[in-house]
Amino acid sequence: MINRRHFLILAAASVAAPLAAHAQATEKAAAFVKSTGDRLIAVVNGPGSAAAKRAGMTQVIDTDVDVEGIGRFCLGRFWRQASPDQQKRYLDLFHQVLVTNITSKLGEYQGVTFTMGRSKEQDDQAVISTTVSRPNNAPTAVDWVISNPSSNPKIVDVLAEGTSLRLTQRQDYASYLVHNNNNIDALIAAMKTQTEQGK
Amino acid sequence: MRPALFVTPAKRGAAHLLMYLAIVAVALPGCATRPPASDPDALADYQQTDDPLEPTNRVFYAINNGLDTVILRPAALAYRYAVPAPVRDGLHNVLSNIGTPVKLTNDILEGKPRRAGDTTMRFLINTTAGVLGIFDVATKLGYPDHDADFGMTMALWGVPEGPFLFLPVLGPTDPRDAAGFGLDVAIDPFTWIGTGPNHPGWSAFTYSRYGLTAVDARERVLDATDSIKKTALDPYATFRSLYRQHRHAQIETLRNDNRATVPVWFPQPAAAPAK
Repeated sequence: MINRRHFLILAAASVAAPLAAHAQATEKAAAFVKSTGDRLIAVVNGPGSAAAKRAGMTQVIDTDVDVEGIGRFCLGRFWRQASPDQQKRYLDLFHQVLVTNITSKLGEYQGVTFTMGRSKEQDDQAVISTTVSRPNNAPTAVDWVISNPSSNPKIVDVLAEGTSLRLTQRQDYASYLVHNNNNIDALIAAMKTQTEQGK
Repeated sequence: MRPALFVTPAKRGAAHLLMYLAIVAVALPGCATRPPASDPDALADYQQTDDPLEPTNRVFYAINNGLDTVILRPAALAYRYAVPAPVRDGLHNVLSNIGTPVKLTNDILEGKPRRAGDTTMRFLINTTAGVLGIFDVATKLGYPDHDADFGMTMALWGVPEGPFLFLPVLGPTDPRDAAGFGLDVAIDPFTWIGTGPNHPGWSAFTYSRYGLTAVDARERVLDATDSIKKTALDPYATFRSLYRQHRHAQIETLRNDNRATVPVWFPQPAAAPAK
Protein backbone atom coordinates (compact mmCIF):
# COMPACT_ATOMS: atom_id res chain seq x y z
CA MET A 1 0.00 0.00 0.00
CA ILE A 2 2.75 2.36 1.02
CA ASN A 3 4.75 1.37 -1.96
CA ARG A 4 1.86 1.99 -4.22
CA ARG A 5 1.21 5.40 -2.68
CA HIS A 6 4.87 6.29 -3.05
CA PHE A 7 4.70 5.17 -6.61
CA LEU A 8 1.68 7.34 -7.25
CA ILE A 9 3.31 10.36 -5.65
CA LEU A 10 6.47 9.75 -7.62
CA ALA A 11 4.51 9.33 -10.80
CA ALA A 12 2.54 12.48 -10.11
CA ALA A 13 5.71 14.36 -9.25
CA SER A 14 7.49 13.17 -12.38
CA VAL A 15 4.60 14.46 -14.46
CA ALA A 16 4.14 17.66 -12.50
CA ALA A 17 7.79 18.65 -12.20
CA PRO A 18 8.45 19.18 -15.92
CA LEU A 19 5.07 20.89 -16.23
CA ALA A 20 6.05 23.27 -13.46
CA ALA A 21 9.40 23.82 -15.12
CA HIS A 22 7.65 24.57 -18.41
CA ALA A 23 5.28 26.99 -16.75
CA GLN A 24 8.25 28.69 -15.11
CA ALA A 25 10.09 28.90 -18.42
CA THR A 26 7.15 30.53 -20.23
CA GLU A 27 6.63 32.89 -17.28
CA LYS A 28 10.27 33.92 -17.50
CA ALA A 29 9.97 34.34 -21.24
CA ALA A 30 6.86 36.50 -20.81
CA ALA A 31 8.65 38.69 -18.28
CA PHE A 32 11.57 38.95 -20.71
CA VAL A 33 9.30 40.03 -23.57
CA LYS A 34 7.60 42.55 -21.28
CA SER A 35 10.94 44.14 -20.35
CA THR A 36 12.21 44.11 -23.96
CA GLY A 37 8.92 45.55 -25.19
CA ASP A 38 9.01 48.29 -22.57
CA ARG A 39 12.55 49.22 -23.59
CA LEU A 40 11.66 49.23 -27.29
CA ILE A 41 8.59 51.38 -26.67
CA ALA A 42 10.66 53.78 -24.60
CA VAL A 43 13.06 54.19 -27.54
CA VAL A 44 10.28 54.46 -30.17
CA ASN A 45 8.11 56.91 -28.25
CA GLY A 46 11.13 58.76 -26.86
CA PRO A 47 12.00 62.32 -27.83
CA GLY A 48 15.49 61.57 -29.23
CA SER A 49 16.78 62.29 -32.74
CA ALA A 50 16.83 59.60 -35.43
CA ALA A 51 20.48 58.81 -34.64
CA ALA A 52 19.77 58.55 -30.92
CA LYS A 53 16.84 56.24 -31.61
CA ARG A 54 19.02 54.07 -33.80
CA ALA A 55 21.62 53.85 -31.03
CA GLY A 56 18.94 52.95 -28.49
CA MET A 57 17.52 50.33 -30.83
CA THR A 58 20.98 48.85 -31.43
CA GLN A 59 21.44 48.49 -27.69
CA VAL A 60 18.15 46.62 -27.23
CA ILE A 61 18.87 44.38 -30.23
CA ASP A 62 22.39 43.55 -29.05
CA THR A 63 21.27 42.46 -25.59
CA ASP A 64 17.92 40.81 -26.33
CA VAL A 65 18.04 39.45 -29.89
CA ASP A 66 19.94 36.37 -31.08
CA VAL A 67 21.30 38.20 -34.11
CA GLU A 68 23.77 35.46 -35.06
CA GLY A 69 21.15 32.70 -34.82
CA ILE A 70 18.69 34.65 -36.95
CA GLY A 71 21.46 35.52 -39.43
CA ARG A 72 22.38 31.87 -39.88
CA PHE A 73 18.73 30.93 -40.28
CA CYS A 74 18.22 33.60 -42.92
CA LEU A 75 21.12 32.38 -45.02
CA GLY A 76 19.63 28.85 -44.92
CA ARG A 77 21.46 26.25 -46.96
CA PHE A 78 23.97 28.84 -48.14
CA TRP A 79 25.43 29.20 -44.62
CA ARG A 80 27.31 25.90 -45.00
CA GLN A 81 28.54 26.87 -48.47
CA ALA A 82 29.94 30.18 -47.25
CA SER A 83 33.60 30.49 -46.30
CA PRO A 84 34.39 31.56 -42.69
CA ASP A 85 35.34 34.98 -44.04
CA GLN A 86 32.04 35.30 -45.94
CA GLN A 87 30.16 34.17 -42.84
CA LYS A 88 31.82 36.87 -40.78
CA ARG A 89 31.23 39.65 -43.30
CA TYR A 90 27.64 38.48 -43.76
CA LEU A 91 26.88 38.47 -40.03
CA ASP A 92 28.38 41.95 -39.55
CA LEU A 93 26.18 43.30 -42.32
CA PHE A 94 23.18 41.32 -41.17
CA HIS A 95 23.41 42.99 -37.80
CA GLN A 96 23.32 46.42 -39.44
CA VAL A 97 20.50 45.43 -41.80
CA LEU A 98 18.45 44.20 -38.86
CA VAL A 99 18.96 47.44 -36.95
CA THR A 100 18.14 49.54 -40.03
CA ASN A 101 15.01 47.52 -40.89
CA ILE A 102 13.65 47.51 -37.36
CA THR A 103 14.42 51.19 -36.87
CA SER A 104 12.78 52.16 -40.17
CA LYS A 105 9.71 50.03 -39.35
CA LEU A 106 9.27 51.41 -35.85
CA GLY A 107 11.00 54.73 -36.19
CA GLU A 108 8.11 56.74 -37.62
CA TYR A 109 5.61 55.58 -35.07
CA GLN A 110 4.57 57.57 -32.06
CA GLY A 111 2.25 56.57 -29.26
CA VAL A 112 2.86 52.84 -29.61
CA THR A 113 1.49 50.65 -26.81
CA PHE A 114 1.39 46.90 -26.33
CA THR A 115 -0.49 44.46 -24.14
CA MET A 116 0.68 41.00 -23.12
CA GLY A 117 -1.33 37.97 -24.23
CA ARG A 118 -1.04 34.26 -23.66
CA SER A 119 2.24 32.36 -23.74
CA LYS A 120 2.98 28.79 -24.72
CA GLU A 121 5.86 26.34 -24.94
CA GLN A 122 6.86 25.04 -28.37
CA ASP A 123 9.89 22.75 -28.95
CA ASP A 124 12.16 24.20 -26.23
CA GLN A 125 11.11 27.70 -27.23
CA ALA A 126 8.51 29.97 -25.72
CA VAL A 127 6.01 31.86 -27.89
CA ILE A 128 4.67 34.99 -26.22
CA SER A 129 1.69 36.73 -27.81
CA THR A 130 1.26 40.48 -27.59
CA THR A 131 -1.05 43.01 -29.19
CA VAL A 132 0.60 46.15 -30.50
CA SER A 133 -1.56 49.25 -30.92
CA ARG A 134 -0.79 52.45 -32.77
CA PRO A 135 -3.01 55.51 -33.05
CA ASN A 136 -5.29 55.36 -36.15
CA ASN A 137 -4.37 51.75 -36.83
CA ALA A 138 -6.04 48.44 -36.18
CA PRO A 139 -4.26 46.55 -33.39
CA THR A 140 -1.68 44.04 -34.66
CA ALA A 141 -1.11 40.59 -33.19
CA VAL A 142 2.64 40.16 -32.63
CA ASP A 143 4.12 36.88 -31.35
CA TRP A 144 7.66 36.70 -29.99
CA VAL A 145 9.62 33.45 -30.22
CA ILE A 146 12.10 33.12 -27.35
CA SER A 147 14.95 30.58 -27.25
CA ASN A 148 16.35 29.14 -23.98
CA PRO A 149 13.49 30.74 -22.05
CA SER A 150 14.72 29.66 -18.59
CA SER A 151 18.49 30.09 -18.85
CA ASN A 152 19.42 32.71 -21.45
CA PRO A 153 16.32 34.16 -23.14
CA LYS A 154 16.84 35.71 -26.58
CA ILE A 155 14.41 36.74 -29.29
CA VAL A 156 14.81 34.43 -32.30
CA ASP A 157 11.75 35.43 -34.30
CA VAL A 158 8.88 37.90 -34.40
CA LEU A 159 5.57 36.98 -36.04
CA ALA A 160 3.42 39.90 -37.12
CA GLU A 161 -0.12 38.70 -37.89
CA GLY A 162 1.27 35.23 -38.42
CA THR A 163 4.06 36.27 -40.80
CA SER A 164 7.52 35.33 -39.57
CA LEU A 165 10.13 38.03 -39.94
CA ARG A 166 13.04 35.63 -40.20
CA LEU A 167 11.29 33.28 -42.65
CA THR A 168 10.38 36.20 -44.92
CA GLN A 169 13.98 37.43 -44.79
CA ARG A 170 15.31 33.93 -45.52
CA GLN A 171 13.09 33.58 -48.59
CA ASP A 172 14.10 37.04 -49.75
CA TYR A 173 17.81 36.12 -49.52
CA ALA A 174 17.27 32.66 -51.04
CA SER A 175 15.50 34.17 -54.06
CA TYR A 176 18.18 36.83 -54.45
CA LEU A 177 20.92 34.18 -54.36
CA VAL A 178 19.17 31.86 -56.83
CA HIS A 179 18.86 34.78 -59.27
CA ASN A 180 22.54 35.68 -58.78
CA ASN A 181 24.14 32.29 -59.49
CA ASN A 182 24.15 31.35 -55.78
CA ASN A 183 26.95 33.88 -55.34
CA ILE A 184 27.20 34.75 -51.64
CA ASP A 185 29.52 37.68 -52.39
CA ALA A 186 26.76 39.21 -54.54
CA LEU A 187 24.39 38.99 -51.58
CA ILE A 188 26.95 40.57 -49.29
CA ALA A 189 27.49 43.38 -51.81
CA ALA A 190 23.74 43.99 -52.06
CA MET A 191 23.43 44.09 -48.28
CA LYS A 192 26.29 46.55 -48.13
CA THR A 193 24.59 48.88 -50.62
CA GLN A 194 21.40 48.55 -48.62
CA THR A 195 22.97 49.52 -45.29
CA GLU A 196 24.72 52.46 -46.91
CA GLN A 197 21.42 53.71 -48.34
CA GLY A 198 19.63 53.12 -45.07
CA LYS A 199 21.88 55.42 -43.07
CA MET B 1 8.13 50.26 -69.89
CA ARG B 2 6.01 51.79 -67.16
CA PRO B 3 5.09 55.05 -68.90
CA ALA B 4 4.69 53.34 -72.28
CA LEU B 5 1.59 51.60 -70.98
CA PHE B 6 -0.18 54.90 -70.58
CA VAL B 7 0.84 56.74 -73.72
CA THR B 8 -2.37 55.45 -75.31
CA PRO B 9 -5.32 57.82 -74.94
CA ALA B 10 -7.28 57.02 -71.83
CA LYS B 11 -10.58 56.19 -73.54
CA ARG B 12 -9.71 52.83 -74.97
CA GLY B 13 -6.81 52.33 -72.58
CA ALA B 14 -8.47 49.42 -70.79
CA ALA B 15 -9.10 47.53 -74.02
CA HIS B 16 -5.53 48.14 -75.18
CA LEU B 17 -4.22 47.03 -71.83
CA LEU B 18 -6.16 43.76 -71.96
CA MET B 19 -4.88 43.11 -75.46
CA TYR B 20 -1.36 43.91 -74.35
CA LEU B 21 -1.69 41.53 -71.42
CA ALA B 22 -3.00 38.79 -73.71
CA ILE B 23 0.01 39.21 -76.01
CA VAL B 24 2.39 39.21 -73.07
CA ALA B 25 0.72 36.11 -71.62
CA VAL B 26 1.21 34.22 -74.87
CA ALA B 27 4.77 35.36 -75.45
CA LEU B 28 5.87 34.72 -71.89
CA PRO B 29 9.16 33.06 -71.01
CA GLY B 30 7.42 29.97 -69.62
CA CYS B 31 8.44 27.98 -66.59
CA ALA B 32 11.12 28.17 -63.91
CA THR B 33 13.93 25.65 -64.26
CA ARG B 34 13.65 22.81 -61.81
CA PRO B 35 16.99 22.12 -60.09
CA PRO B 36 18.49 18.65 -60.77
CA ALA B 37 17.97 15.84 -58.24
CA SER B 38 21.72 15.91 -57.56
CA ASP B 39 21.26 19.15 -55.63
CA PRO B 40 18.73 18.15 -52.92
CA ASP B 41 18.96 21.45 -51.00
CA ALA B 42 18.17 23.52 -54.07
CA LEU B 43 15.39 21.10 -54.99
CA ALA B 44 13.89 21.36 -51.49
CA ASP B 45 13.94 25.15 -51.75
CA TYR B 46 12.33 24.98 -55.19
CA GLN B 47 9.56 22.71 -53.92
CA GLN B 48 8.99 24.84 -50.84
CA THR B 49 8.75 28.00 -52.92
CA ASP B 50 6.26 26.20 -55.21
CA ASP B 51 6.40 28.87 -57.88
CA PRO B 52 6.83 26.94 -61.16
CA LEU B 53 5.44 29.89 -63.16
CA GLU B 54 7.91 32.33 -61.62
CA PRO B 55 9.12 33.96 -64.87
CA THR B 56 5.51 34.62 -65.95
CA ASN B 57 4.57 35.78 -62.47
CA ARG B 58 7.47 38.22 -62.42
CA VAL B 59 6.28 39.81 -65.66
CA PHE B 60 2.85 40.38 -64.14
CA TYR B 61 4.48 41.63 -60.97
CA ALA B 62 6.36 44.22 -63.05
CA ILE B 63 3.16 45.23 -64.87
CA ASN B 64 1.17 45.51 -61.64
CA ASN B 65 3.98 47.42 -60.06
CA GLY B 66 3.90 49.86 -62.97
CA LEU B 67 0.12 50.26 -62.74
CA ASP B 68 0.42 50.73 -59.01
CA THR B 69 3.12 53.37 -59.36
CA VAL B 70 1.12 55.50 -61.80
CA ILE B 71 -2.47 54.87 -60.65
CA LEU B 72 -3.22 53.17 -57.38
CA ARG B 73 -0.42 54.42 -55.15
CA PRO B 74 -0.90 58.10 -56.11
CA ALA B 75 -4.66 57.64 -55.65
CA ALA B 76 -4.09 56.16 -52.20
CA LEU B 77 -1.69 58.98 -51.29
CA ALA B 78 -4.19 61.59 -52.48
CA TYR B 79 -6.94 59.84 -50.54
CA ARG B 80 -4.82 59.88 -47.39
CA TYR B 81 -3.93 63.55 -47.95
CA ALA B 82 -7.45 64.77 -48.74
CA VAL B 83 -9.58 62.68 -46.42
CA PRO B 84 -9.04 62.86 -42.64
CA ALA B 85 -8.40 59.59 -40.81
CA PRO B 86 -11.78 59.36 -38.99
CA VAL B 87 -13.63 59.75 -42.31
CA ARG B 88 -11.41 57.09 -43.90
CA ASP B 89 -12.15 54.74 -41.02
CA GLY B 90 -15.89 55.43 -41.43
CA LEU B 91 -15.71 54.65 -45.16
CA HIS B 92 -13.74 51.50 -44.46
CA ASN B 93 -16.40 50.40 -41.97
CA VAL B 94 -19.21 51.10 -44.48
CA LEU B 95 -17.42 49.04 -47.16
CA SER B 96 -16.90 46.24 -44.67
CA ASN B 97 -20.59 46.36 -43.70
CA ILE B 98 -21.63 46.15 -47.36
CA GLY B 99 -19.53 42.98 -47.56
CA THR B 100 -21.73 41.23 -44.97
CA PRO B 101 -23.63 38.92 -47.38
CA VAL B 102 -20.41 37.44 -48.77
CA LYS B 103 -18.82 37.11 -45.34
CA LEU B 104 -21.90 35.53 -43.77
CA THR B 105 -22.25 33.04 -46.63
CA ASN B 106 -18.63 32.00 -46.20
CA ASP B 107 -18.97 31.74 -42.40
CA ILE B 108 -21.90 29.35 -42.92
CA LEU B 109 -20.15 27.35 -45.65
CA GLU B 110 -17.17 27.03 -43.33
CA GLY B 111 -19.47 25.53 -40.68
CA LYS B 112 -18.46 28.14 -38.11
CA PRO B 113 -21.71 29.14 -36.34
CA ARG B 114 -20.03 31.53 -33.89
CA ARG B 115 -18.39 33.40 -36.75
CA ALA B 116 -21.71 33.56 -38.60
CA GLY B 117 -23.25 34.88 -35.38
CA ASP B 118 -20.54 37.53 -35.03
CA THR B 119 -21.10 38.63 -38.63
CA THR B 120 -24.87 38.82 -38.17
CA MET B 121 -24.61 40.78 -34.90
CA ARG B 122 -22.04 43.10 -36.44
CA PHE B 123 -24.38 43.83 -39.34
CA LEU B 124 -27.42 44.43 -37.10
CA ILE B 125 -25.54 46.61 -34.60
CA ASN B 126 -23.41 48.58 -37.03
CA THR B 127 -26.23 49.23 -39.50
CA THR B 128 -28.43 50.69 -36.74
CA ALA B 129 -26.38 51.98 -33.81
CA GLY B 130 -23.39 52.44 -36.13
CA VAL B 131 -25.40 54.63 -38.55
CA LEU B 132 -25.37 52.54 -41.76
CA GLY B 133 -22.07 50.99 -40.85
CA ILE B 134 -20.02 54.15 -40.38
CA PHE B 135 -19.12 53.39 -36.77
CA ASP B 136 -17.89 50.00 -35.67
CA VAL B 137 -19.91 49.78 -32.45
CA ALA B 138 -20.08 45.99 -32.57
CA THR B 139 -16.37 45.45 -31.85
CA LYS B 140 -16.73 47.40 -28.61
CA LEU B 141 -19.73 45.24 -27.70
CA GLY B 142 -17.75 42.03 -28.08
CA TYR B 143 -18.38 41.11 -31.72
CA PRO B 144 -14.97 41.55 -33.33
CA ASP B 145 -14.38 41.40 -37.07
CA HIS B 146 -12.75 38.40 -38.73
CA ASP B 147 -11.65 37.40 -42.22
CA ALA B 148 -13.79 35.18 -44.43
CA ASP B 149 -13.60 34.58 -48.15
CA PHE B 150 -14.17 31.68 -50.51
CA GLY B 151 -10.46 30.89 -50.72
CA MET B 152 -10.40 30.31 -46.96
CA THR B 153 -13.66 28.33 -47.16
CA MET B 154 -12.21 26.03 -49.80
CA ALA B 155 -9.01 25.67 -47.76
CA LEU B 156 -11.13 24.43 -44.87
CA TRP B 157 -12.84 21.99 -47.21
CA GLY B 158 -9.42 20.56 -48.06
CA VAL B 159 -8.80 22.21 -51.44
CA PRO B 160 -5.01 22.65 -51.83
CA GLU B 161 -3.71 26.13 -52.61
CA GLY B 162 -1.71 25.06 -55.64
CA PRO B 163 1.30 26.92 -57.05
CA PHE B 164 1.87 30.61 -56.45
CA LEU B 165 0.33 32.98 -59.00
CA PHE B 166 0.78 36.68 -59.57
CA LEU B 167 -2.15 37.92 -61.61
CA PRO B 168 -2.68 41.27 -63.33
CA VAL B 169 -4.73 43.64 -61.13
CA LEU B 170 -5.48 40.89 -58.59
CA GLY B 171 -1.88 40.58 -57.44
CA PRO B 172 -0.41 37.72 -55.38
CA THR B 173 -2.70 34.70 -55.23
CA ASP B 174 -2.92 30.99 -56.06
CA PRO B 175 -5.44 28.98 -58.13
CA ARG B 176 -7.62 28.29 -55.10
CA ASP B 177 -7.74 31.89 -53.89
CA ALA B 178 -8.21 33.28 -57.41
CA ALA B 179 -11.19 30.94 -57.91
CA GLY B 180 -12.39 31.98 -54.45
CA PHE B 181 -12.24 35.63 -55.46
CA GLY B 182 -14.42 34.90 -58.50
CA LEU B 183 -16.90 32.96 -56.36
CA ASP B 184 -17.04 35.81 -53.82
CA VAL B 185 -17.97 38.22 -56.61
CA ALA B 186 -20.56 35.71 -57.88
CA ILE B 187 -22.26 35.19 -54.50
CA ASP B 188 -22.33 38.93 -53.76
CA PRO B 189 -25.94 40.13 -54.25
CA PHE B 190 -24.63 43.62 -55.12
CA THR B 191 -23.01 42.11 -58.23
CA TRP B 192 -26.46 41.26 -59.56
CA ILE B 193 -28.68 44.05 -58.27
CA GLY B 194 -29.70 46.72 -60.77
CA THR B 195 -27.34 45.77 -63.59
CA GLY B 196 -28.01 47.21 -67.02
CA PRO B 197 -28.52 50.67 -68.50
CA ASN B 198 -31.85 51.28 -66.72
CA HIS B 199 -30.26 51.57 -63.31
CA PRO B 200 -27.61 54.31 -63.49
CA GLY B 201 -27.83 54.74 -59.71
CA TRP B 202 -26.92 51.14 -58.98
CA SER B 203 -24.14 51.14 -61.57
CA ALA B 204 -22.68 54.26 -59.98
CA PHE B 205 -22.91 52.59 -56.59
CA THR B 206 -21.21 49.42 -57.81
CA TYR B 207 -18.34 51.24 -59.52
CA SER B 208 -17.83 53.65 -56.61
CA ARG B 209 -17.73 50.69 -54.30
CA TYR B 210 -15.10 48.86 -56.36
CA GLY B 211 -13.02 52.01 -56.72
CA LEU B 212 -13.23 52.94 -53.05
CA THR B 213 -12.45 49.39 -51.97
CA ALA B 214 -9.27 49.40 -54.05
CA VAL B 215 -8.13 52.82 -52.82
CA ASP B 216 -9.03 52.04 -49.20
CA ALA B 217 -7.18 48.72 -49.27
CA ARG B 218 -4.14 50.34 -50.91
CA GLU B 219 -4.08 53.24 -48.44
CA ARG B 220 -4.03 50.80 -45.52
CA VAL B 221 -0.86 49.10 -46.77
CA LEU B 222 0.96 52.21 -48.05
CA ASP B 223 3.58 52.25 -45.30
CA ALA B 224 4.02 48.48 -45.27
CA THR B 225 4.58 48.17 -49.04
CA ASP B 226 6.87 51.20 -49.14
CA SER B 227 8.93 49.69 -46.34
CA ILE B 228 9.12 46.28 -48.05
CA LYS B 229 10.22 47.80 -51.35
CA LYS B 230 12.88 49.73 -49.48
CA THR B 231 14.23 46.88 -47.34
CA ALA B 232 13.80 43.74 -49.49
CA LEU B 233 16.54 42.61 -51.85
CA ASP B 234 13.93 40.82 -53.95
CA PRO B 235 10.53 42.45 -53.31
CA TYR B 236 8.73 39.88 -55.50
CA ALA B 237 10.02 37.00 -53.36
CA THR B 238 9.21 38.92 -50.19
CA PHE B 239 5.62 39.62 -51.26
CA ARG B 240 5.28 35.96 -52.27
CA SER B 241 6.48 34.80 -48.87
CA LEU B 242 4.31 37.30 -46.98
CA TYR B 243 1.19 36.46 -49.00
CA ARG B 244 1.56 32.74 -48.35
CA GLN B 245 2.35 33.12 -44.66
CA HIS B 246 -0.54 35.54 -44.16
CA ARG B 247 -2.99 33.20 -45.86
CA HIS B 248 -1.76 30.22 -43.82
CA ALA B 249 -2.16 32.24 -40.63
CA GLN B 250 -5.70 33.35 -41.60
CA ILE B 251 -6.70 29.76 -42.38
CA GLU B 252 -5.10 28.46 -39.18
CA THR B 253 -7.03 31.03 -37.11
CA LEU B 254 -10.22 30.00 -38.90
CA ARG B 255 -9.54 26.31 -38.32
CA ASN B 256 -8.87 26.83 -34.61
CA ASP B 257 -11.95 28.98 -34.02
CA ASN B 258 -14.10 26.28 -32.44
CA ARG B 259 -15.97 28.33 -29.86
CA ALA B 260 -18.94 26.59 -28.26
CA THR B 261 -22.38 27.53 -29.54
CA VAL B 262 -24.09 27.47 -26.13
CA PRO B 263 -25.77 30.85 -25.52
CA VAL B 264 -24.42 33.02 -22.72
CA TRP B 265 -27.60 32.74 -20.63
CA PHE B 266 -27.61 28.94 -20.81
CA PRO B 267 -25.77 26.96 -18.06
CA GLN B 268 -22.24 26.73 -19.43
CA PRO B 269 -20.49 23.39 -19.98
CA ALA B 270 -17.54 22.59 -17.69
CA ALA B 271 -14.78 24.15 -19.76
CA ALA B 272 -16.13 26.83 -22.04
CA PRO B 273 -13.24 27.55 -24.42
CA ALA B 274 -14.57 31.00 -25.20
CA LYS B 275 -11.87 32.84 -27.08
